Amino acid sequence: MTFEQIIFYLFSAVLVAAAVGMVTVRSPVYAALCLILSFFTSAALWLLLEAEFLGLVLVLVYVGAVMVLFLFVIMMLDLNTDPLKEGLVKHAPVGFVVAAVIAVEMILVLQSAPFQIATPLNPAPANNTEALGAILYTDYVYPFEIAAVILVVAIIAAITLTLRRRPDSRKQDISQQVQVKRADRVRLVKMKAETKEQA
Amino acid sequence: MLGEYLPILVFLAVGFGLAVVLLGLGLLAGPRRPDAEKDSPFECGFPAFEDSRIKFDVRYYLVAILFIIFDLEIAFLFPWAIVLDTIGVFGIVAMGIFLTILIVGFIYEWKKGALEWE
Amino acid sequence: MMEILANFFGAFLPEWMVTLLIILIKVVAIVLPLILLVAYATYAERKIIGFMQVRVGPNRVGFKGLLQPFADMFKLIFKEIVIPARSNRFLFLIAPLLAMGPAFAAWAVIPFSDGMVLADVNAGLLFLLALTSLGVYGVIIAGWASNSKYAQLSALRIGAQMVSYEIAMGFALVGVLMASGSLNLGDIVRAQSGSIFSWFVWPLFGLFLVYFISGVAETNRAPFDVAEGESEIVAGFHVEYSGMAFSIFFLAEYANMWLIAALTSLMFLGGWLSPFQGLTFLTDMPVLGRVFGDGIHWLLLKASFFMLLFFWFRATFPRYRYDQIMRLGWKILIPITLVWIFAEGLAIALGWKPWL
Repeated sequence: MTFEQIIFYLFSAVLVAAAVGMVTVRSPVYAALCLILSFFTSAALWLLLEAEFLGLVLVLVYVGAVMVLFLFVIMMLDLNTDPLKEGLVKHAPVGFVVAAVIAVEMILVLQSAPFQIATPLNPAPANNTEALGAILYTDYVYPFEIAAVILVVAIIAAITLTLRRRPDSRKQDISQQVQVKRADRVRLVKMKAETKEQA
Repeated sequence: MLGEYLPILVFLAVGFGLAVVLLGLGLLAGPRRPDAEKDSPFECGFPAFEDSRIKFDVRYYLVAILFIIFDLEIAFLFPWAIVLDTIGVFGIVAMGIFLTILIVGFIYEWKKGALEWE
Repeated sequence: MMEILANFFGAFLPEWMVTLLIILIKVVAIVLPLILLVAYATYAERKIIGFMQVRVGPNRVGFKGLLQPFADMFKLIFKEIVIPARSNRFLFLIAPLLAMGPAFAAWAVIPFSDGMVLADVNAGLLFLLALTSLGVYGVIIAGWASNSKYAQLSALRIGAQMVSYEIAMGFALVGVLMASGSLNLGDIVRAQSGSIFSWFVWPLFGLFLVYFISGVAETNRAPFDVAEGESEIVAGFHVEYSGMAFSIFFLAEYANMWLIAALTSLMFLGGWLSPFQGLTFLTDMPVLGRVFGDGIHWLLLKASFFMLLFFWFRATFPRYRYDQIMRLGWKILIPITLVWIFAEGLAIALGWKPWL
């Protein structure tokens, strides 16, 4: 066994263990942490495949961004998992059907033509960030722009779903404060000096 | 390329290992005299009056969601920035359109008040 | 020297073990000076802020207090690590490790001098961005596992703050990439060679400011240290940590500060390049030429300057309020970087490259 293979089996074992752990552990926080670990090890496996850019982007986007959101929600929402466990028997058949449908779909997709590459790209381009960039913004410019539109839709969806005005909050408008003029705040009044008799 | 990532793996292991050693040293060398008051969560001298698991403003989650979108944008910008010489004006204009679409989204955020912190 | 070692170990060990051993030696050769730098950064911080506030700072242990960091370390080792009663013990102890790992591993791709780099990866900058985005986990998990209100508030604040400034930071990096045309940190520095005027700080001055400000926010240093705001949430996410567990967070924070300082020097101030580059009458001098020429000492000097800025900020600026922090990140820094990227793209499209 070469050194590379040892590393591969090591990471694969961790990945499988983390993935199994993610579905089986009870605490949602531990499940999220297992998911993070499995993303991280998959990134390492992608690096082993010499997919440098994709491996690092997996860490950057999934581990560094998506899972932070997951952890935020799970940790701070104070989830109570007990009610979720009720009715397992009732929902199990539906779950199995969904799982089967997904499995069939994945098999069909993986057997379709685009995945049947006769000659894998070997050796991978030495600098695959550059190789990716050279075609992404020229040959695949249309899907690339579509990606921007999808991201904008995501922004709008996130805002409409979560943005709530809180009527009780006291807000401070900083730019308004900065632009304030002396005349708005201070009024100089001329008055006579008070004497003892008046007081 | 793989050879270059091995040192990083080793470095990561050394980083974790160092932390484990330091933590172990602290656990071994330090005293261990727990008592109820010392182990209770800190709360300005009073006994805690409610559980620490409080619900938080949804705004924090909104920031995290928006961050994911911008992070993806950065992931798209990185390969673009290093191939400017080869993709020419066409590629630069393509990114210009991409960013313009996303800046529309950014302006929407701004105008909707999603970036306000009340 | 590494060949001699390789031959020596190669006599009685299999090849892959020799490779690992050599790497391990190199890693230790980076980590030990780094720990020393971190230790003396804490001393320097106390001394410098002391001077700024007309105090003397630590002056008891050793000559002028020079042994103070070691005294602190030994004290912390013999302190009790209190584990709060209702905390999650496992995560409570794992959180410091998660803070330390990325803070140290990032140093693997830093070029200290021409060719003096442990892992010369193609996508060095992407790797750094990915690793810095992992730093937030130590904090969030520490805050949550402590099961304390202050710690949790801090974890939430810091999480949102770090991710916000990471965007500005990433956009600033894109500007650097556009100018250098490579993700490799060594190449980025080499793209700045020529003279002091080829450094990226001149054409990318706005991005330089944005990057360093985001770096300060990312490491939760004053004036962005709402995560530890001692007057409101006491010490933030590590309020429940004591002894060595606390000092690991401390170590990670200072290692991250050095990292930001080193990266700012590498990307904007030419890293190991000497400011006297091109002035041959200086660099060709027999002995002094080595001092005036390129080398690791320039990187150290530049990074130390940014460390000084970190301390200076702490002594000068009052803490920002949280809404002001978010406003600065989203409404000022991000628009600046976007405008800069557009301007840079336009300049390149027109064939005008000010950094060449």
